[in-house]
Amino acid sequence: MEPCASQPSWYHLDNAAMMYSAIQRGNYSALYRFSAVMTDPVDPQCLQRAIDKTLPRFPGFQVKIRRGFFWYYFERDDGPGPVLQRDIRNPCQPVRFQNHDKLIRFFYYEKRISMEVFHALADGGGALVLFKTLLAVYLREMGHAVPNTHGILDVTQPPQPEEWEDAYARYAHSRVHLSMSEPKAYACTGTPEPFYTLNVTMGFVSVRELHAAAKGHGASITEYLAAILLQSILIRQRREGHRRELPVSLAAPINLRPYFPSTTLRNFILTVRPSINPELGDYTLDEIIAQVHHHMRLHITRQEMQAVITKNVSLQHILPLQLVPSPVKNFAMDLGYRIAGSRPYSTTFTNPGIFQVPEEMESLIHHMEVVLGQSYTPRVNCAAISFGDIMEITFAGTVRESDVEREFFRTLVREGLHVKVTSNRKECVPCHTASTVE
Amino acid sequence: MSYCVNCGVELDRDAAACPLCQTPVINPVCPPDPQAIPNFPMERQEVEPVDHRELAILLSAMTVCTGVCCGLLNFVLWRGVPWSLFVVGACAVLWVWLVPPLLLRRAPSAVLLLLDLLAVGGLLVLIGTVLQGSVWLSGIALPVWAGFSLILLTIWMAAKNRSFLSRAMLILGGLALFLVWLEFIIDRFLGTYRPMWSLIAAAVAVTLMLPLAVVRTRPNLRRQVRRRFHF
Repeated sequence: MEPCASQPSWYHLDNAAMMYSAIQRGNYSALYRFSAVMTDPVDPQCLQRAIDKTLPRFPGFQVKIRRGFFWYYFERDDGPGPVLQRDIRNPCQPVRFQNHDKLIRFFYYEKRISMEVFHALADGGGALVLFKTLLAVYLREMGHAVPNTHGILDVTQPPQPEEWEDAYARYAHSRVHLSMSEPKAYACTGTPEPFYTLNVTMGFVSVRELHAAAKGHGASITEYLAAILLQSILIRQRREGHRRELPVSLAAPINLRPYFPSTTLRNFILTVRPSINPELGDYTLDEIIAQVHHHMRLHITRQEMQAVITKNVSLQHILPLQLVPSPVKNFAMDLGYRIAGSRPYSTTFTNPGIFQVPEEMESLIHHMEVVLGQSYTPRVNCAAISFGDIMEITFAGTVRESDVEREFFRTLVREGLHVKVTSNRKECVPCHTASTVE
Repeated sequence: MSYCVNCGVELDRDAAACPLCQTPVINPVCPPDPQAIPNFPMERQEVEPVDHRELAILLSAMTVCTGVCCGLLNFVLWRGVPWSLFVVGACAVLWVWLVPPLLLRRAPSAVLLLLDLLAVGGLLVLIGTVLQGSVWLSGIALPVWAGFSLILLTIWMAAKNRSFLSRAMLILGGLALFLVWLEFIIDRFLGTYRPMWSLIAAAVAVTLMLPLAVVRTRPNLRRQVRRRFHF
C-alpha cells in the first residue's frame, strides 16, 4: 500500500513521547516487547511478507525520529524495512537516534514471534493492535482463514487519521490542573549488570487458578499481582535493614481509552501509584490487597485523570518553554526525570490484560509474552499478559539480584498456584554447559 | 520436569539451576535434558556504538572558525595588541577538552586529563609570552599549575575503584596539600615563606579525614553509618 496523499509526512510527538525521547540516552531507551509463542515453528519468509503487508496500514509505526530546533518530531520513513531478525538473548537493546535505528523491530525464534517498540511511538494498547493484525496477516500467509474481528485491522483499507491523533491534547480541557507529585519511594535498585545485559525471568500461571486466588481475596487479578509485588519489595527493603523505611510504590500504567473514547494507536496512558508505607506498621497480604484495590478505585476516575492530562499537556504549551531549543529542553527534562521522575515509585507493574483474538487464531497461538525493557535506573520491572488459560508474568531489568522475582513467585506458590519459571539469566545455563559454571 | 526444592516452581527441561535462587537441579528421575531447545536464543547482540566523529568534526569546525575569524579581525582590521592570540589559545584549550574524549574513547581517563592539564599549561605560557610576563609566569603561574596538575593526576589515578569514603579522604588530603603548596609559592614569590592560613586549612582537612579513616577501617561502624545515612 502506497502512502496516501492525506497522510502527513511528519507528526508532532505526544505528551508521553516527548518525555521518552528526552530521557533517551546512548545506553537507555524506553522499549517494550510483545511476543506470541505459536503452536508451530515460525516461517521467516511468511513473517517478513506479513510485516511488509501490515506496516503500511500503520503509518504511525513507520517513522523516524528527527530533532527539530525546538522539539523532536516523527518523519515518515519511506525506506525499506523493518527487516525480520533472528531473536537475541538480550532483548530491548537501546535505539540510537543518531544511527537512524528503526523505532520498531521484529524477531523470530523457533515458535516465537516478537515485536519491540520504542515507547514514544505507542503504548501497549496501540502496539497490541498492530501485533494482533500482524499475527492475523502472518497466519493468512500460512494458509489459515482469519477474519478481521477482535480488534484486527483490515490491511487492505487505508489508515484512518484518528488512529494517529494526539488524544492527550484532545482531552486536556479540565478546569483543574492536577499534578501527580508524590513522596519519594524506596528505589528498589540493585547491582547493575554490564551494558547490553537484560535479565528476563518469566513465570507462567493458570489464569483460572489465579482468578480464583484473586477472587478469594476480593480483588481483580491486576490488583492481586500488584499487591504481591508490593509485598515482595517490602520484604526486600526490610531485609536491607534500613533504620527508616520508605514507602513502596508501584507505577501502574492505565489505558485511558475506556475512559476517554479514542481509537488512537499512539500513547494514551497515565500511571496510578498504589503505595504502602511500612513506617505505619506491618501489612498482611490481605491488607496490601485491600490498599491496592481501594487506591485503584479511588484514583482511576475520569475527572481526576483528565485534570492530570491537562496539567501535563499545559506544560508543553508554556511559550517561554516552547522557545527553548530542544537540546536545552532535553537536558532539563532528563535532569528533571533523574531527580524527580523516577523517585516516586519503586518499580513499574503493567498488565495489558487479555489478548483476545478470533476463534480461528486461538488454536494457533500457545501463549503470549510481554517484556518491559530496561529501566532508567538499575531496577527490575514487572509486566503480565494473559492468553487463553496462561498468564505470563515477566520480570526484566539490568539488575543482577533476583530477589524481587524470587519472593514474588514463592508467594504465588505459597498461595497454592502452580508456577513454571524460565529465564535468560547466565546462571540458568543448559545442562551441557553447567559444568563450567560455579 | 523438575521443581526447585527451595522455590517450589517448575523449571525448564534444560535448566541446570533454578533461575530464582540458583539451586542446582539434581533429579535422578528426570535429569536436565541437554537436547531440549532452550527457551531463549543463545546469541547476544550489541547495538552499534555511538559515532562521535560527527560531533567532533562540528566542535573542531566551531573552534577553528572562532580562532581564524578573531585572528583575521585582529591582524587585518585592528592591528596592535595581539588579543586574538588569547582567543586562539582558549579555543585550543576548549578543543583539547572536548574533542579527544570523543575520538579517543578507549584512552585511559588519566591520559585525557593529562592532555587537559597540558593544554591549560600551554595557555598560561602563551599568555605569559604575549604579555612578556616571564616573572609571574615562572614565579607563580607555572609552579601553581604544576602542583595542581600533579596532585589532581595522583588523586585521579588513586581514586579509581575506591570506596566513597576513600575518595573523600583522598580529595581532602589533596586539597590540604595543594593549599600548603599554594601558600608556599605565593610567599616565595612575595619574599619570605611564613606558613599560616594554609596550615589551618590543612589541619581542618586532616581533622575531617581522621573520622572518615576510622569509619573506613571499622566494618561494623561502616555498616552502622551506611544504615543511618542511607538515601
